[in-house]
Amino acid sequence: MSFDESGQIIDWLAESHEISDDGLVYSFTLREGLKYSDGTDLQAADVKFSLERNIEKQGPIMLTAPIASIETDEEARTVVITLAEPYTPFLSELTGFAAGVLPSDFGGKSEEEFFQSPIGTGPWVVSEWDPSGDLTFVKNEHYWQEGKPLLDSLVYTFIADDNQLLQRLSAGQIDAIETVPAANAAEVDSNEATTLISGDSWAIEQIFFNTQKPEFADVHVRRAIAHALDLEGITQATTFGTARAATSLIPPSIAYSAADAGFELGYDVDAAKQELAESGYPDGFTATLLIASGNASRAQIAQIVQESLAQIGITIEIESIDLAAFRERFRAFDYDFMLNSGQSDSPDPNGLVTFQADPEGFSNSYWTHYTNDEVTALMHEGRTTPDGPEREQIYLDIQRILAEEVPYIPVYYSSTLHGTTSKVHGLEGLPNASIRFQDAWIEE
Amino acid sequence: MSLSAGAAASEAAQEPARGASPTRESRALPRAIGRAALRVLSTVLPVMVGVVTAVFFLLRIVPGDPASMILGDRATPQAVAELRERLGLDAPLWQQYTEFVMRIFTHGDTGDSLVTGVATGDLIWSRAPVSLGIVAFALAIALLITVPLALAAVQRKDGWIDHAVRILPSISMGMPLFWIGLLLIIVFAVNLGWFPVGGVASGGGPFEWIRSLFLPSLSVALGMAPPLIRSLRAQLLEVTEAEFVTTLRAARVSERRIRFNHVLRGAALPTLNLLSVNLAYLIGGTLVVEKVFGINGLGTLLFQSISSRDFPVVQGVALYCAVLVVLVTLVAQVLSALIDPRLRRVQ
Repeated sequence: MSFDESGQIIDWLAESHEISDDGLVYSFTLREGLKYSDGTDLQAADVKFSLERNIEKQGPIMLTAPIASIETDEEARTVVITLAEPYTPFLSELTGFAAGVLPSDFGGKSEEEFFQSPIGTGPWVVSEWDPSGDLTFVKNEHYWQEGKPLLDSLVYTFIADDNQLLQRLSAGQIDAIETVPAANAAEVDSNEATTLISGDSWAIEQIFFNTQKPEFADVHVRRAIAHALDLEGITQATTFGTARAATSLIPPSIAYSAADAGFELGYDVDAAKQELAESGYPDGFTATLLIASGNASRAQIAQIVQESLAQIGITIEIESIDLAAFRERFRAFDYDFMLNSGQSDSPDPNGLVTFQADPEGFSNSYWTHYTNDEVTALMHEGRTTPDGPEREQIYLDIQRILAEEVPYIPVYYSSTLHGTTSKVHGLEGLPNASIRFQDAWIEE
Repeated sequence: MSLSAGAAASEAAQEPARGASPTRESRALPRAIGRAALRVLSTVLPVMVGVVTAVFFLLRIVPGDPASMILGDRATPQAVAELRERLGLDAPLWQQYTEFVMRIFTHGDTGDSLVTGVATGDLIWSRAPVSLGIVAFALAIALLITVPLALAAVQRKDGWIDHAVRILPSISMGMPLFWIGLLLIIVFAVNLGWFPVGGVASGGGPFEWIRSLFLPSLSVALGMAPPLIRSLRAQLLEVTEAEFVTTLRAARVSERRIRFNHVLRGAALPTLNLLSVNLAYLIGGTLVVEKVFGINGLGTLLFQSISSRDFPVVQGVALYCAVLVVLVTLVAQVLSALIDPRLRRVQ
């Protein structure tokens, strides 16, 4: 399965799928004539092998569906998956990176050998990997979408410097860049030589509180901070109008978002002062805001947060450290509060909610240590309830509680910003920030 | 003025070479080079051991874990622990250090990259030519800027060139290297289109390669030249006003010969020493311009490896840079010995 630019789930290697009324049996029919990039046929058994390996591996983006059995029929090209209990996000989980189909038993190789020179069903094949940085792909001649990809080859170059990236694009030295810095989006858009490709993403910039710290364990303190921040202004100033100020944990590009429901606390300095007065710290306190260095917009947000909170008597020190140290710190709960982003991998709300509000999960509500039994119960219910108004209500309730208790403050919903020269057409940006190249072509 | 006085003066001016008969000269030179090499080599090992040890332990003091950098934010603690074990990062520090040092002696490199699995040696060799190219071109350009400007300034002391040579370096010394690089990109690459904006041309032949390295090298050279120009100018003035030059002039030795054979030679030594002291700047500068020009050289490799805590690669690049500094110091000492024969005896 996969999804399109707007995040709608679409059939991909499966030609069609059916879900039983009880939500337990998922039947997929594979497309005819599917081949791997080395020309061998893709079998239904390969799907079974890949899913089972994935469940066993528990990799970074794991499959958490309660799969009871997988039956395959090579003749009919079907894969029938039976779940132990209903699990509504299953289809959306199958759209993730982790659900790729590998050949059974790695085509007779060891796992390590296989990943030295992997094969797959995607539109491109790695032809050259230069340790000095370039990655060259050629067209997969056996790709299942007729006539695609349109380009013969694709070279990925790694460029660390934003200025360099943009100047090479505008000079036509490279055809496309993966990420346009928000500050330059308008320039790329208005320049005749370049085109900005922008869309909704599943990423949200957020402020996370370590609720193990006594100050941030106090819900009034968290609410005071939420009231003290002008998210609209922060978003405008730091993303140059490319993003939308956030009002809820689930972005509008994902089903059941409460972005328009009005649950957010809103910018109100008087209310902020009042909340702080009700807290255990009426005279304010000092805390450290942890950020990863090298991200200009986060550094700006941090400064605005510092100034805004000074108005209600909270003194903020900003600590900016490199990404590796940053990760180590928050994973060890060694921080007061931090700026980080949340990102869904699939178009279902369960992913984000599970990752950010599940105290049982390994990330412990994304290292906030936030625990709310009602949210936990709703989260479990949300997974088993079929799509529809009832499920929508569950996620609206979760978002309402999170907005009231503020274990994190969603700051803005990021947009995907890709740039190309004006000769490039058909490049498709997806909401998980990846790019689909098979429809891209370059004008002569 | 008598002829004999002139002859004596001429000999005095060439005092360093006087008395060194051709045979003695030809034996003295290799011996001097050998001695210089021995002296430098005897400092190489302690330097290497020092660099390797310092980098090894500094990297491990700095917080940040390679396994969680590889697996990302969403890796489970179990996955991170498994990877740490596979990469050998869970072993005691002394054991890791012993293995690391043993590996340098047995394999001659610092191990495979934790992130890509490619041998550090291969990564360095694939990227070193570009970085060395920038170092070499920058050095050449810096000298091409320095020598004529300093000579011109001295020739017309207090003239407009002299003033310019004294004022302009002060301005350019205040400009950070990345800024110089950006200005060059905007003027010569974006507006005039004479050079590529960045990157290294692959497959375009040597000319294209040099063309793509020109602006980065020029940036480093522009940052490097000002102190060199100042030093050379001051030395030239000192030598020009030395008594032996007056004597040479009196002996009607041509101005041209005085300038190149005597004055420049006498003034070159302190500048050469300054140059070798500036080596750290040269290599550091190369690492900076690589980022500005988006060049995948050693600097970019080092930067990426530090960010991802790719220990073997950081250690490898540090070791490589240390070797490079020692080697170039050696070359500078040999050159000094060639320029000033007195140094051969001292050594």
